[in-house]
Amino acid sequence: MSVWAIPQPAISGRIVRPYTMTGGRTGSDLPRIALEALVTATPAGMRMRTRFRWESADIITHTRKETAIIELAALLEVPIGVVRVLAADLADKGAVTITDPPSETDVTSDGYTDLLQKVLDGIKSL
Amino acid sequence: MESSPSEKPRLTPVKIVVAGGFGVGKTTFVGAISEIEPLRSEAIITEASAGIDDLYEDGTKTTTTVAMDFGRISLKHDLVLYLFGTPGQDRFHFMWNELARGAIGAVVLVDTRRVDACFAAIDFFERRETPFVVAVNMFYGRKLHAEEDVREALRIQPEVPVVYCDARVRVDVQRVLVTLVEHALSRATTEVAAN
Repeated sequence: MSVWAIPQPAISGRIVRPYTMTGGRTGSDLPRIALEALVTATPAGMRMRTRFRWESADIITHTRKETAIIELAALLEVPIGVVRVLAADLADKGAVTITDPPSETDVTSDGYTDLLQKVLDGIKSL
Repeated sequence: MESSPSEKPRLTPVKIVVAGGFGVGKTTFVGAISEIEPLRSEAIITEASAGIDDLYEDGTKTTTTVAMDFGRISLKHDLVLYLFGTPGQDRFHFMWNELARGAIGAVVLVDTRRVDACFAAIDFFERRETPFVVAVNMFYGRKLHAEEDVREALRIQPEVPVVYCDARVRVDVQRVLVTLVEHALSRATTEVAAN
């Protein structure tokens, strides 16, 4: 699984330093996108797909169905930080939308207790 | 090009953190209920960021890789629940902030033969005021210690639920999650009433 910890190009064929894909940016200048934030390709993004570099195009392909940042990192075998930068860029261009989880400031709201009740119902009926 | 409202994503992501010492069964716990095989994602971090925020990017620091295992459960009401296992090694405790941010709550998995392995997790969630439950993983289905002994050893507040489970068994894991969300809900309800 660990592609970047010990380079194993045979597994992924990607002999690229991970942050080369992001032009050296690490995302520390961006607001932190939550690990569980869902990325969804827009119809426009699907049409523009081939105009992006392969790693961004891969994100669009994988997000026809909502997929979390952390899942994209696992599926594409790139570090979480790289996915964050690329997803933020794609969102800026309108190619994907990013759905944030409820923020911690919501915790003392009625909406949050409603959400928890729904989560509880959902887990009970699994 | 703008997408029309009908094309908006419909799912809301939520998460629960599964913490505990190295080898206590976190990934087993996640795998018992996840609809996908637990996946592993990696973050590249600078050694200097252990303990402090990642403020400087001068490209000269040594980097290390931290791995996180996670699973996913689709729930009704258009919710998708992610379960995150915390990295086991102590030197990655600073990652817990990132994991705990926005979490519904946490499950602290305990192996009663090595209770000290979960002290760091309990301290962390208490200080952060993240709702958590203690889930005693009964290895081989055996309940080695009574609840009051576990409470005493862990020095947890009386309101913190303690549940016994077999981390390999889906219904056990489901029951732990139900207990956690009920606990989080009762705390949130109290807080809403107080505001």
